Amino acid sequence: MFLHYIDLSWRSMKRTPLVSMLMILAIAVGIGVTMTSLSVYHMMSMDPIPHKSDKLFSVQLNTTDDGNNWWTEDDVPLQLTYKDAMALHNADTPESKTASVRALFTVHMNNQEVKPFLASTRIIGHDFFTMFELAFLYGGAWTSEQEAAATPVVVIDEETNDRLFGGENSVGKQIYLDDTAFRIVGVTKQWRIHTKYYDLNNGAFNSPESIFMPITLIAPLEIQNMGNTNGWKYEEINTFQERLQSELFWLQFWVELNTAEELQNYRDYIQAYLVEQGTKSRFERKIPQFNLKDVNEWMQYNKVVSADNKVLVGLSFLFLAVCLANILGLLLGKFLRRAPEVGVRRALGASKRQIFIQHLVEVSMLGLLGGVIGIGIAQLGLWGVRFTSNEYASLATMDIKMLLAAPAIAISACILAGIYPAWLVCRTQPAIYLKTQ
Amino acid sequence: MLEIKPVFNALLRSKAGAVMLLIQIALTTAIVSNAAFIINDRIDYLSQETGYPEDEIFSFTVKSFDPNLDLSQKFEETETMLRNIPGVENAGLFNASPLSGSGSATGLSLAPASERGPDVRAAYYQADENALNILGISVSQGRNFRADEVIVSQTRGVFPLVVIVTRTLAKELFPKGDALGQTVYFGSDPLKIVGIVELMKGPWLQDSKPDNVAIIPFVSASTFQHIIVRTQTKQRAAIMRQIEDLMLEDHSKRVIIGLNAMDVKKAEYNASDTLMLRMLMVLIIVLLLVTALGIFGLTVFNINKRTKQIGTRRALGARKSAIINYFLVENAMICSVGVTIGSIGAFFLGRVLLQHYSIPALDNMYILSTALFVIAISLLSVLMPANKAANISPSIATRSI
Repeated sequence: MFLHYIDLSWRSMKRTPLVSMLMILAIAVGIGVTMTSLSVYHMMSMDPIPHKSDKLFSVQLNTTDDGNNWWTEDDVPLQLTYKDAMALHNADTPESKTASVRALFTVHMNNQEVKPFLASTRIIGHDFFTMFELAFLYGGAWTSEQEAAATPVVVIDEETNDRLFGGENSVGKQIYLDDTAFRIVGVTKQWRIHTKYYDLNNGAFNSPESIFMPITLIAPLEIQNMGNTNGWKYEEINTFQERLQSELFWLQFWVELNTAEELQNYRDYIQAYLVEQGTKSRFERKIPQFNLKDVNEWMQYNKVVSADNKVLVGLSFLFLAVCLANILGLLLGKFLRRAPEVGVRRALGASKRQIFIQHLVEVSMLGLLGGVIGIGIAQLGLWGVRFTSNEYASLATMDIKMLLAAPAIAISACILAGIYPAWLVCRTQPAIYLKTQ
Repeated sequence: MLEIKPVFNALLRSKAGAVMLLIQIALTTAIVSNAAFIINDRIDYLSQETGYPEDEIFSFTVKSFDPNLDLSQKFEETETMLRNIPGVENAGLFNASPLSGSGSATGLSLAPASERGPDVRAAYYQADENALNILGISVSQGRNFRADEVIVSQTRGVFPLVVIVTRTLAKELFPKGDALGQTVYFGSDPLKIVGIVELMKGPWLQDSKPDNVAIIPFVSASTFQHIIVRTQTKQRAAIMRQIEDLMLEDHSKRVIIGLNAMDVKKAEYNASDTLMLRMLMVLIIVLLLVTALGIFGLTVFNINKRTKQIGTRRALGARKSAIINYFLVENAMICSVGVTIGSIGAFFLGRVLLQHYSIPALDNMYILSTALFVIAISLLSVLMPANKAANISPSIATRSI
């Protein structure tokens, strides 16, 4: 029966080719536009680490005086000072935690063969790798002893390993970062994330860093961070030591808290820490203020999905609504014109239900065709997006979910548009039409 | 002669189709007016004057990794080397590159930091007396720096005593307009305003105060050093191609990154706005096309349905123009109601966008012009099928009975 309905729909489409084409085109364009903006939105807002996003928390401490404004919605600075970050980093609780900051290093082998290049470097504690689930190709993270002793060791990523060592196991070998020799302890597999959620400061969709280095090296090597540094009061800073002791914000801090109890304990711990710091008259603040935000909250707080994007998605759905109204109007005309034929079918024994379903099948066919063409249009749109903006290059693609969503949205939209005309036509009274024939 | 009453009565007999057309026109009006407004807002933003001759300037960053190098001395040599390249107008060290999205800002205040007075946020560039020449900007009031006012130092121990500010910053610091010769404080260091320039954007065009910019004659060569070069327009591309080789020839223990023309850097910084602009433009064009096709399709359909009636009317003596008029009036009626509803919708949509998505308040002129435009498109889409209808021969009415 279903196949018969499909056959009928095909005949019906061929009978009114212009109107059918208009309808398919309308739904295709509607789906194309909607899927273009929806795909970008989907990639931007996607949970980057779904099974763990509610266990990783970004820590914010408000160590400014009361009355200081910040550009965040609750006036809490996004980053931490070095002394606070290191105090939390060296604390006993919780088990997994890491301060984190970005720097730039010149990578070279201290010889003429390899042309020096610049590498974005993440400076972190060894917990970072397990917390953010970086897999290793060779070796592993540095040990806590190495970290405590500020040993010059690094972990490099697969791409850098390919570039410097032709993809061989480079654990134990030496590389130079600026003027310091480092021993490689691990090589990570390529880390595929599209949102750089652990550091949203300079472009949420930049690639992750390619070299990782212990956080304890900041002080001895006097490493300058490459990211945002913000102050809120004037301080005389001439030496690196003064910078480390200053109230400048330039590090991120993440903790892993697995249970509600751990979360509560850590809240208490930070509360106590802030009260203690307050008594040292570092800042004047009546009520200690801090935030613990999990990955998704953190992405929302940092407005990873821009207002522009939401506006575009909204407007494209309105656009789809226009296309639907368009189709509905055309369907009404088309179906009602077929009333005499329906009258005959009804007289020959077709039930209202069958007529109704037959018309919905026809509408779904239109939706399916439109959806498939729509995917093509959306691909064209996404190509345009990639062409316009490098930043969106990895975002402007359709994953399998979106590829399936396109025909699904198209078919349900068409069915929605088709219900009323199909209902109208299935109520046809056979008698009237039989009389006039 | 417009026959509104019979047209209206006929419409009532097939309400659903008319209602769909009406909804479509209303939505189109609401979307197009808001999208057109946002587009215009972005075009204004993207085409704003920055004060720089963007097609003459390029910049790059030098990362030095030779621990035994005297940076100040080396970069002095590098500057000379760059200025001697044929086609280069001027070149020099900067702490940040304009319009690039990365730089430094501070609070300039009327009292030293110890007194904690109110301050005015401003981006600042640090460079030598060539700064304005390199950026292609001229002083409109006061004077440029003298060479002896420039401090070259690796620490903040000694700081300059003078500053050049933009007109906007000068006005905000000294609303009375007497900024020239006054003193402002950078932290605890006093700076006398010796010059004012009309327009010079900071590193961040999206900043709430992109026009608040100061130039401080301070050069502190660093291991991560920005360099800006101004060339003759036509030679820029050729010079940029050889810059990396020349820089590495000058000194090998360095890496050159971020080599880019100023207009390209600006375009990269603004990529998301350009993207929004383009997507909205595509949206509007396609939307109008779909609506026009929809009206066209529906009219063709109605005409086919009414072929007999039209033939009868023609046989009874209706002129061709009467038939065309009929469809035009019918469409104009639906369209004007749709446009009215759409305008109200546009107004509320604009309010929502303003409240939730920080998009500026919709100018009502946009609603009005969109409404007129939609009506025009709608009538145009009817015209062709209506003409066809007018050509239906009266004999059709008689033949098929």
